[in-house]
Amino acid sequence: MNLFLYLDKGTSVHRLDPRTKLFLMLGSFMAAVLFSQPGPLFALLVVLLVYGALGGSLENLWRIWFLLLGIAIFSVVSWSIFTRGSTPLFWRVTWEGLSFGIGAAIKIDGMIISGLIFLSTTRIEEIVLGLIRLRVPYQAAFAFSLGIRMVPTIIGTAMTVIEAQRSRGLDLESGGLLGRLRNHIPLLVPIFLQTLRGTDQLAKALESRGFGAPRERSSYLEIGFHAADVLTLFLGALTLGAFLIIRFLP
Amino acid sequence: MIHLDSVSFRYRAASEPALSDVSFHIRPGELVGLLGRSGSGRSTLASTLNGTIPHLVRGDLKGRIFLAGEDIQGRRPRDLADRVGFLFQDFEAQLFSTNVALEVAFGPENLGLPRQEIGRRVDQCLRLVGLYELRHKMPAGLSGGQKQRLALASVLALGPQILVLDEPTSDLDPAGRRDLMEAIRGLRRGRPLTLVMIDPEIDELTWMDRLIVLDRGRVAVDGTPAELWEATETLENLGLKGFTLARLATALGVSSRWDSADRAAAIIKASGWQVKEGATDLLRRADADRKNGEVLLEVEDLEHRYPDGTQALSGASFTIRRGEFVAILGQNGSGKTTLVKHLNGILVPTSGDIRLSGQSLRGQPSMLLSRLVGLVFQNPDHQIFAERIRDEVAFGPRLQGLSEKEVAHRVDEALEAVGLAGAGDLDPFVLTKGSRQRVAVASTLATKPEVIILDEPTTGLDQHELDGMMALIQRLNQAGHTIVIITHAMSVAAAYARRVILMRNGRIVRDGSAREVFSDESSLLDLGLTPPPAVQVANRLGVSALTLEELIGSLARSPQPPSPPAPLLQP
Repeated sequence: MNLFLYLDKGTSVHRLDPRTKLFLMLGSFMAAVLFSQPGPLFALLVVLLVYGALGGSLENLWRIWFLLLGIAIFSVVSWSIFTRGSTPLFWRVTWEGLSFGIGAAIKIDGMIISGLIFLSTTRIEEIVLGLIRLRVPYQAAFAFSLGIRMVPTIIGTAMTVIEAQRSRGLDLESGGLLGRLRNHIPLLVPIFLQTLRGTDQLAKALESRGFGAPRERSSYLEIGFHAADVLTLFLGALTLGAFLIIRFLP
Repeated sequence: MIHLDSVSFRYRAASEPALSDVSFHIRPGELVGLLGRSGSGRSTLASTLNGTIPHLVRGDLKGRIFLAGEDIQGRRPRDLADRVGFLFQDFEAQLFSTNVALEVAFGPENLGLPRQEIGRRVDQCLRLVGLYELRHKMPAGLSGGQKQRLALASVLALGPQILVLDEPTSDLDPAGRRDLMEAIRGLRRGRPLTLVMIDPEIDELTWMDRLIVLDRGRVAVDGTPAELWEATETLENLGLKGFTLARLATALGVSSRWDSADRAAAIIKASGWQVKEGATDLLRRADADRKNGEVLLEVEDLEHRYPDGTQALSGASFTIRRGEFVAILGQNGSGKTTLVKHLNGILVPTSGDIRLSGQSLRGQPSMLLSRLVGLVFQNPDHQIFAERIRDEVAFGPRLQGLSEKEVAHRVDEALEAVGLAGAGDLDPFVLTKGSRQRVAVASTLATKPEVIILDEPTTGLDQHELDGMMALIQRLNQAGHTIVIITHAMSVAAAYARRVILMRNGRIVRDGSAREVFSDESSLLDLGLTPPPAVQVANRLGVSALTLEELIGSLARSPQPPSPPAPLLQP
């Protein structure tokens, strides 16, 4: 099972410098937090989806649709109920609350989608290299990347442990709230210990391959700003500028 | 190239030293096999060679270690990375890149090599291990054997003169094992590589220049394979087995050395031995004396497709009778584990049916199944969680809602059966891997299942622990339990199983008595499985013996021995 998000395709978005994509992602976050009404946020979402389609990364949306939908429903429902407004629609729901809820839903989902596009089109190694070029210390950048890489490993371990304990008759759904929590101890202990063993092994393997050697590290991957990056950054800045104008001009 | 001068090491918090006063000298280009029981200090010794001990594992190291004449005291693994390559058993933990080429590039990048040179090394090392075509793939999608070869290439790219391999094939299936060994043998062409390899199977180390046997942290034997050929008894006293073919030669009183089953068979015949009249029939009759009971499990047209679309099983059918001992063999990915997970309800068939004692399992909750069919997973560390062995074993029975008195009784019974009586109050994590495996078996046993399935019960065990584990499983079988094992260890399958099921690509391609399946070598080889050495010799002599003992028992002196007269059979 492939638990990584990266999609190995050669699209024009894939070929961009990781720093360019990082800036685009941060720019989209900035645009997202500027607004609370659905209109401009919807426009932002459309821009993001076009960008994602160019990067061939929209298929990954299917892998997290439950997350996106869950956030959308939760956001719309809770904001509708708890936000006061002056235009009642039905029960205690007002037009203002509903609109704010929809806006919040698009805002959060949009930021997730933006992050997803970044991870779908950029190798972890490229992200590390990009961060290093942005003067993040190598050790810190690599630690960040290991964190991302550990996730699939831990999920894999967890799946095996769950199967092993279920085969011994463990039923996670039985009992009251406290009982259910207690049911998880036979899962958490082996998962935690296996993960610790795994990191210990990894530390040995990393160091025996020269990780942390006191020499200037070189790079097999090459990154650099090209014409496409300049153009993309220009378009990105233009779009962000447009959103800023919409937001701050009366 | 490697020189150890009275090296001793004690792990922090350990009372006994793991290595005491180890000294030896390894010449450049020498191939050295390290042997010993688990806990003998093999891995500890290997870890001192690149500074993992004492820099990443704490403890008290004494003595001096020289690599190419230089004392490595104070050198960390990363300082030695371009001189000593280290390949670990756990290939999953060694890979962390998103593509094969980048994985190999990681080491040279750390050395700060120019980009062009890195590219040259990546291509060269990937070609050496036969993964060049896969250089753009993700490591996560490779098979176990390919992953270990990738780990090997990643280590080689640093350009070491010394390669240390710590049980590199233990987690691999037979084909992965063979390909890795071929890659390792191929490395030596054109480069003066010194090799130190730990392997629990002495039969895998016949091609080494030299074998060093450790016992309780000391060098017990140090000699060439030819010298160890004569030393079966010494090895047995150290808890190891001698070369299978050497034990055969000794038993038959033949003094020549054999490096292949073909030669062994030819020499045995030439020395005046022949297969006894009707030997195979005799063995078959002994098999037939063991009657199996009624049909317990019926599997019909089982298909399974995983959510990601992988078709893991495509129409498997078989039945299992009470009291049988079945081994399921096949490469990784052939569907063995997926198959047995259906038998205790962890997985639900995509289509097809399973009947237990005539009753369909369709729509039954998995809780009911896990009481009838117990599954012991490959790695005990995926299930052990309790602080006391007693509580670990009591987990299953307690979930069944039994009274504490009955639970205690079952726990005692199960611990007794696995040879851990009286150890109930110990913390399972202080035990060796072999004993933790026993705890896992006891945990299953305590739920009193009709059928016990064990997935790779002998992986990571030394010969002594393996014999103990298999003797335990055999006892359970004789006591009436139905046993199904999945294994890559052909000698285990041949010696213990009565029936063998061969799988490939989610299908059962052969299902017959162990004797019948193992005497048909070509169909095993088709699946990348090699029969154990004793069986190979037996097949060449024309008797379907499954163990060395059976083979020796099936041979007799020819009436007119050809010259020169061979010595008498030793008792």
